[in-house]
Amino acid sequence: MTTDVAEPAPTPSSQPQSPTPPLTGVRVLDFTQILAGPFCTRLLADFGAEVLKVETATRTDRTSATRPDPNAKGRQDRPPAFLNTNRNKRSIAINLKTPSGKGLATRLATVADVVIENFSADVMGRLGLSYDHLAPLNRRMIYVSMAGYGHSGPRREWTSMNMNLQAYTGLMMVNGAEGDLPTSISNSWNDYIGGLHATFGILQALAERRVTGKGANLDLAQFECSVSTLAPLLVASAASGRAPRRMGNRFSHAAPQGCYRCAGKDEWCVITIPDDDAWHALVGVVDAKLSDPRFDTLVARLRHHDEIDTIIEEWTSQRSKEEVESRLASVGVAVSRMRRIREVFEEEGPTAFRSMEDPPGHMTAATGVPFSFARNGIAPLAPAPNLGEHTEQALGEWLGLSPDEARALGEQGALV
Amino acid sequence: MARIIDLAAHPAVYATRLFAEVGHDVIRVESAAGDQVRRLGPYLGDREDLNHGVFHQYLNAGKKSLALNVQSSVGKQILVELCRTADALVVMAPPPVGEQDLAAANPRLVVTIVEDEEPEICAYARSGLLSITGHPGQRPVLMGGHVAYAATGALVAVATATALLAAEQNGQGDTVHVSLAECLQSLFEQAMVTYASTGRSTERRGYRGAVTAVSGAFPTQDGYSMFSIPSHPEGWRGFMSWVQDSVLLEDESLVEETERQEKKDFILDRLESWSRGFLKEDIVSEAQRRHIPASPVATPLDLARDPQLIHRGFLREVDHAGLGKMLFPIGALATVRGTPTGFAPRLGQHTTEILSELGYSTEERQALIESRVLWA
Repeated sequence: MTTDVAEPAPTPSSQPQSPTPPLTGVRVLDFTQILAGPFCTRLLADFGAEVLKVETATRTDRTSATRPDPNAKGRQDRPPAFLNTNRNKRSIAINLKTPSGKGLATRLATVADVVIENFSADVMGRLGLSYDHLAPLNRRMIYVSMAGYGHSGPRREWTSMNMNLQAYTGLMMVNGAEGDLPTSISNSWNDYIGGLHATFGILQALAERRVTGKGANLDLAQFECSVSTLAPLLVASAASGRAPRRMGNRFSHAAPQGCYRCAGKDEWCVITIPDDDAWHALVGVVDAKLSDPRFDTLVARLRHHDEIDTIIEEWTSQRSKEEVESRLASVGVAVSRMRRIREVFEEEGPTAFRSMEDPPGHMTAATGVPFSFARNGIAPLAPAPNLGEHTEQALGEWLGLSPDEARALGEQGALV
Repeated sequence: MARIIDLAAHPAVYATRLFAEVGHDVIRVESAAGDQVRRLGPYLGDREDLNHGVFHQYLNAGKKSLALNVQSSVGKQILVELCRTADALVVMAPPPVGEQDLAAANPRLVVTIVEDEEPEICAYARSGLLSITGHPGQRPVLMGGHVAYAATGALVAVATATALLAAEQNGQGDTVHVSLAECLQSLFEQAMVTYASTGRSTERRGYRGAVTAVSGAFPTQDGYSMFSIPSHPEGWRGFMSWVQDSVLLEDESLVEETERQEKKDFILDRLESWSRGFLKEDIVSEAQRRHIPASPVATPLDLARDPQLIHRGFLREVDHAGLGKMLFPIGALATVRGTPTGFAPRLGQHTTEILSELGYSTEERQALIESRVLWA
């Protein structure tokens, strides 16, 4: 057996569980692509929903196009990012450019509980698959759109990608200190934020449908989801007419607080001192120069933060991050070395990340969910589908079509 | 409408905010001192008190406030009585009342227990996220605005809502354990996949050239704007037909992304002198007209008057007590539903109302106030 991750200890989500996951029986017709939408539908799948991913052979999920990875080990039919994001789902291949393909997608929507898409604003309308097209056919349908800016307003036509959203939501001018350049995070932060809001919105709509019997139309904007996470600072700006101060690594309730250079190339540790006891503990370890009555209170330390930082960094930069961490932790100071992705993976792989066998004989890394239920189940890990792997099965289970009828649909051009 | 009892500290309070945003009855249980979220500035009108912190104003909007000492035995008893009327409790580990006592009082109750082991900046550094936030080789930075806690809160909300839906379906509550350390790690799964499949450890990429060779934040007269020029030759040609930089146009090898990667700094330096001639709104509008993914690099002040947020009803005019009329963000889910949430409560604003509902008489409440169990 080849492996690119450590063999995991048994974990709740990698073992089949007897309790039924809460969303068992919920059918999700999934038109989403790349990350924000597929992350949402993966969570729904983890909770037991039957997620049917609609794909087109001529235009597969663009995760494939944007993240080719010739060095990837294991399965080669899909890139690793796709495999991780789309595990626990099924795949149906429909040609949405033909009338019969559109008709088939419409029929599937009439028996779906959730229809979800994250295309640009007009795409589903052009395909005849918008909320207005489908709602008359299925009053229990929860329809979720996740366009970058939503389906209305002056920005509805704007193309959005992760970095554009990091920029426009204010994140890059909130990260960093005053005077710093725009500062990003090297991942698709906004996709996760959008996906989480969509998931919560769907769970809420399912709960409401239990009472009302009616579905919902959720015209979410990924932009607004991310702006919501920074909304307190919007409130501040709306009231004051000023942009909030960029705090860098500092905090009004702890001083000093910062990220300090350690020995070695690009090695760092963070320290935060919330009160005088912690301060005295720090002073006892670091440098007698810190033992200065000018630094005795939190307010004073905030005022002299630069000076204090310089003294601390003189000390940390001569020591490894491990030594800084262990010496300060031993006296009760809140400290952590900066762990790189490699270190997190190597130190915690088996618990932080799950693994599953895919393809047979090869263990591959997969992300689980960062929580556990005492009573409810979470779906066991299952590999991402091949393109169109479940076409015939889904046509049978969702629409009651026989294999012959499925083949006839193929001859009409509905399938690819 | 469900009733949610909210004992969430800052790392989880965005969860209960989301429940309030979609119309649930959220009761925030606070000590006499008021909770930590009330103490986070900046403050509205520079009024540094328990009611004017902007994090409190947004994260506790639409909730009720019950000021109750849950460390006292009488306080614990009242919390249990309150949980009998509730559907979910969101609480930090360890909860003030044992899980078994809560389950005995209300078998339908969902109890979400959030494990939060260290301060924000330490959790962020340990998770790995710090190593990918900032500029290459330079000092890494904690994400601002405590936004990492909004993400962890959203995960807490999703976990709680799932168990709540199950409880409504089968009449049985559940206990949900959420680890904040694992929540933070789950937010860089792309980096995890990259490492697992290629052995490459994602690092900080900074603000320019992070996506394609010609992408990033470009300086303008009034700030920055963000562009991503696609990697294919047509993307470059289309962009050059706009920029008309004679030096760049002359070098035909630049139609290839690999060449552009090689000469990235040279290209970006030239483009920066071009972009400085524009206002950010103008350069972004023209780029979008040309189908180039672009956006302003906004500050929260820009967003506080953003036309898209106003048009969609995300920003709504409210008459705020003490501050008068102002535009206030109602949240992404409230925007979709078209129903804004109310304001954040004063400390103990709903103590009397809630204790009355639980059957406590005026005299009993007064006695509890005098014995410092309640504050109203």
